[in-house]
Amino acid sequence: MAAAFLGSHAFRRRGRLVRGARKTQSGPACRIAEPVKSQESLPGEALYQKMRFRGKELLARSPFPRIPFRKLLEYWMVLATQGVLELSVRDFHPSLWRRAMTVLVEKTNNSTREVQMIWRIRNSIVSKMTLLVMGGASLVFALVVTYSYLYSREIILNEAEQNARNLALSVAGRIEQEFRAVGKIPEGLARFLESQPCERERNLLALLRGVVSDNREIFGAAAAFEPGAFVKELRAYAPYFFKTDVGIQYVQIASPNYDYFQQDYYHITKLLNKPLWTEPYFDEGGGNILMVTYSVPLHWPSEQGKQGSFRGIITADVSLEWLAALVNSVRVEKSGYCFIISDTGKFVTYPRREYLMAESIFSIAEEQHSPRLRDMGRAMINSISGFEDIGSDLTSTEAFLAFAQIPSPGWSLAAVHPKEELFAEVTALHQRTVLLAAVGVGLLFAVSLWVARSLTRPLLRMADATRKVAKGDLDIDLTAIHTTDEVGQLARAFGHMVEGLKQRDFIRSTFGRYLTKEVVTRLIESQDGLKLGGEAREITLMMSDLRGFTALTSHMAPQDVISFLNRYLGRMVEILIEHRGIIDEIIGDGILSFFGAPEPLEDHPARAVACALTMQAAMAQINALNEADGLAHLEMGIAVHTGTVVVGNIGSEKRSKYGAVGSEVNFTGRMESYAVGGQVLISEATYGRIRDLVEVKHVMQAKMKGIPGKVMLYDVKGIKGRYQVTLPEKNETPRPWPERLKVLLWRLREKVVQETALQAWITHTSDTSAIILLGSRLEQWEDIRLVLHTSETDHVEGEVYGKVVSVSEKDHQYEALVRLTSMSPHVHKFFRQRASVA
Amino acid sequence: MNERGVNERGTNHPRHRNACEPGKVDAIIGCGSQPLCGLLWWLLILLMICQVPVSGLCESTSPRISFMPQWVPQAQFAGYMVAYDKGFYGNAGLDVEMRTGGPGKDCFASLSEESLTFCTGWLSTAIQKRASGERIVNLAQMLQRSGLLVVARAQSGIHTPEDLNGKRVGFWPGEFSVPGAACLRKHRLRVDVVPNYTTVTLFLKGPVDAIAAMWYNEYHMILNSGINPDELTVLRFPDMGVDFPEDGLYCREDAFLANPSMCVAFADASLKGWAYAFAHEEEALDIVMEYALRANTGTNRAHQRWMLARIKDLMLPAGEGRPMGILTRQDYERVGSELEKLSLIERLPRYDDFYKGRSADGDRNQTAGSRSR
Repeated sequence: MAAAFLGSHAFRRRGRLVRGARKTQSGPACRIAEPVKSQESLPGEALYQKMRFRGKELLARSPFPRIPFRKLLEYWMVLATQGVLELSVRDFHPSLWRRAMTVLVEKTNNSTREVQMIWRIRNSIVSKMTLLVMGGASLVFALVVTYSYLYSREIILNEAEQNARNLALSVAGRIEQEFRAVGKIPEGLARFLESQPCERERNLLALLRGVVSDNREIFGAAAAFEPGAFVKELRAYAPYFFKTDVGIQYVQIASPNYDYFQQDYYHITKLLNKPLWTEPYFDEGGGNILMVTYSVPLHWPSEQGKQGSFRGIITADVSLEWLAALVNSVRVEKSGYCFIISDTGKFVTYPRREYLMAESIFSIAEEQHSPRLRDMGRAMINSISGFEDIGSDLTSTEAFLAFAQIPSPGWSLAAVHPKEELFAEVTALHQRTVLLAAVGVGLLFAVSLWVARSLTRPLLRMADATRKVAKGDLDIDLTAIHTTDEVGQLARAFGHMVEGLKQRDFIRSTFGRYLTKEVVTRLIESQDGLKLGGEAREITLMMSDLRGFTALTSHMAPQDVISFLNRYLGRMVEILIEHRGIIDEIIGDGILSFFGAPEPLEDHPARAVACALTMQAAMAQINALNEADGLAHLEMGIAVHTGTVVVGNIGSEKRSKYGAVGSEVNFTGRMESYAVGGQVLISEATYGRIRDLVEVKHVMQAKMKGIPGKVMLYDVKGIKGRYQVTLPEKNETPRPWPERLKVLLWRLREKVVQETALQAWITHTSDTSAIILLGSRLEQWEDIRLVLHTSETDHVEGEVYGKVVSVSEKDHQYEALVRLTSMSPHVHKFFRQRASVA
Repeated sequence: MNERGVNERGTNHPRHRNACEPGKVDAIIGCGSQPLCGLLWWLLILLMICQVPVSGLCESTSPRISFMPQWVPQAQFAGYMVAYDKGFYGNAGLDVEMRTGGPGKDCFASLSEESLTFCTGWLSTAIQKRASGERIVNLAQMLQRSGLLVVARAQSGIHTPEDLNGKRVGFWPGEFSVPGAACLRKHRLRVDVVPNYTTVTLFLKGPVDAIAAMWYNEYHMILNSGINPDELTVLRFPDMGVDFPEDGLYCREDAFLANPSMCVAFADASLKGWAYAFAHEEEALDIVMEYALRANTGTNRAHQRWMLARIKDLMLPAGEGRPMGILTRQDYERVGSELEKLSLIERLPRYDDFYKGRSADGDRNQTAGSRSR
């Protein structure tokens, strides 16, 4: 509990958060506060410590009461950065979270901007809307672009495959033709030699030379014979003609160092007994170049259609240089190329010369660890044509490979199509599409930003306006919002609302002068505050009035009347409101008010009496001010009565007031007429309720119109207990004047001064009363008006009003005790002078 | 042309210069001014005294020796090429001329003609030669197992040795024919033997049903002609009961007796070359490829890599902790009795006479051989 105590102490000290402190004192926050203290010092520790107490308030509202605030902030932070945050923003006040984040930023060394960005993005319609629109549009664009790319790629790939296959087939076809052409020549020579026995060496050599010289494609030609098959005494005989820079050369291949019987072109042709295209090889027998040889078996002349036995071979050599030149002349895209592999996968031509004779497509596949390339090679050897993706196994860049077989030698021609170039168009198209999409998204971004801004700008303006209104400033201007859409409607509605508030404020401020806050509040805020109708309730009524005011006003300037009344009423209303009295009505100088409705007040009689006494006491100040302004001295009479009346909204729908009605109200009015200046009269009913509290000066008995019997009225001079108000002692015993003063006396009937003036004399005066001697009899409680004459011609300016309290007969003259209710300042001054002389 | 290339190589190789050539000493002395020459003299004498124990061999006898493997330059002979190129021979005081073998070059014949000092050859062939009177000795037995296979297309219906009956099978002629003949005799096979001179084209182009192939060479050539292993039937010679270890290092007996230390030095340096080749595969392949390129053999690195790995498998068979280069008496007698049984030789020469290399425990067999004389 120590932490809780500390915490609550801090809250009190901080003042603003007293409510929070209360919460902390009770319930789960106390438990949570414990683990927070004395943890390791962190960069944001100071701020964090400050926040801790606020945190407790948050914790009280946290959905996870058992998790320390610090932890909660960390979790929140993690969730916020991961974008899963929803749990706490609504639960905690934003400003606190902002500060919390500042601490966390220091703790986690993240940049504040990042967090603020998250905050801003998560909290702005503009960003939400823009992001959503952008996200959606980007997704759609991405899908469309991807689909179009894949689709167009597919189309182009199909087309490219067809083209590539065709290219490979056509090149292979050309080479095939060349090979066939080359093949025809040794075949022809062999057939010729088989049909026409040519046993003369010269003829054979001439034929061979002719083969070489007449055929551009043929590098060399040879005839090789079985031992003794051409020249009987020679084991090996193989004349060879081949091209050189200096013309056609002749060489005899057969030598001790070169056994042509062991060469593939001889050995295998002999074994197969059919024409053979050899593998590319480096010939050391004569040409010393990379070549392939077409070797045709030569037989002994046939006998009756039967093929003779093997006699030797006729060969034609094709230089790979020539073949390479042919293959390399084929353009494939920009940087693509063609190559040929033999039926064992060896490179016959290839742009990299070092591959020739050495590498095969399978050795490359093995070195590259590429089963795909190996399969490719097998496909090339075994199928007529094909088109495959070989990646970058053979070339440095990704490529497709189209191939076609060259049937004669059983080779395969391949064309390497770099993917980049094959897809150059589609890539360019795609790039443009992406660019367009990006521009589109950008435009969309701008538009959605603009739309969102134009939507939120009036909203923000209204939010500002709302804040102003919340502060009580109703001078807002929403004319800048021109739109007619929903936001515009909202703005107009808001304007109307503010207008309504203004009116209400006007009403409140205007009527607040006449109605107490409670009534105004009840009227404005309670839903049925304005409902007509009422309830019977026991309340204490109070009626006050200025004695002789009405008569006085007839001689006063209107301005003076108003400023006089305002001063008087202002103070009285203030006191009434202080005592939570409800002003029912103000008629001129008279105030009818009551206590105990609409809000029930237990002590309404005491409250009313205290209020009356306070009001009475306040009159001294008012009179002092009035005298200073040269206004009349006035006395106020107050009556207080307790009874059951009907309270509620009285009137019509158009005009109504919260007031009280009933006979008790009238009774109070009657009572009031018995009160003289400075008096507070309370009824029997009121007295009965606060008997122990009030100090009563004396008790009067009055006979009231329409009320049988006598009514007891208690002149109260103070109240004890909670309110403690006592009226100042007044000198009320009239003292005799040194000489009587002549006065003219007018009687008032129904508050109207009678025409006839009577002659009378003032013999005694006190602060509040005077004894008047006159010839005719005055009625008790009669109101009179006096004008004081200092001599036959001279009189004291102004006049005096009073109420006859008692009348007695003395030497045929009548002596009346008059309670003075109001007197002019001059009269007042005069009286005081006289009193002091006396 | 190829031989010429290697000759040039032999004399020009920088790592192979021999510091104790007489001409070189003169050249050093002949240079410089008079007082400096005196100093150099002394220095040189000092140097020569220091070098005597090391260079004593070449000082006394530094004949130019020659070496030729039985086939074209390839990873099968990587150890020798590496030993040469890394200067192991030179360091051992040997002035070696590396010759290129290949088709049409019978290195045992060259040995007999005394035109060659050292050669490689198959054990079975060598035993046959020795039995027929050619006095050659084995200095080291490199391959411990036979790498011979008979390869046929799976679809040809050949699955067992018996299936070869009546079929056309390609075998190497000449000195490489012994194990083939042994195999045929052992299984009493009547096959149409076709000489295979060079490549596997004979098999690939189709005139033969099956072909003898080396596991480390031709078999891989066939694979890298686009034929997958599952498309082939492979009959391993050891499985057919003819496990004749192949490559060994040979010289003439008289040459050995005349200068046994030189021969031992050559064999040791060669073995060192092999050890180095197996430990530094890529470097060894670089060297092999250089030789192959020069000999225009038309090979590729992938093939040589396979070959080196298989040769290693055969030289250092898994599960046998034996050092490299040893011919055990058991292996010798097993091969010999097999050859006797098949009547390929009449009488098996004595092991000690035939083998002059290391014994399994590291001793030289030469003393035993000397004793036996």
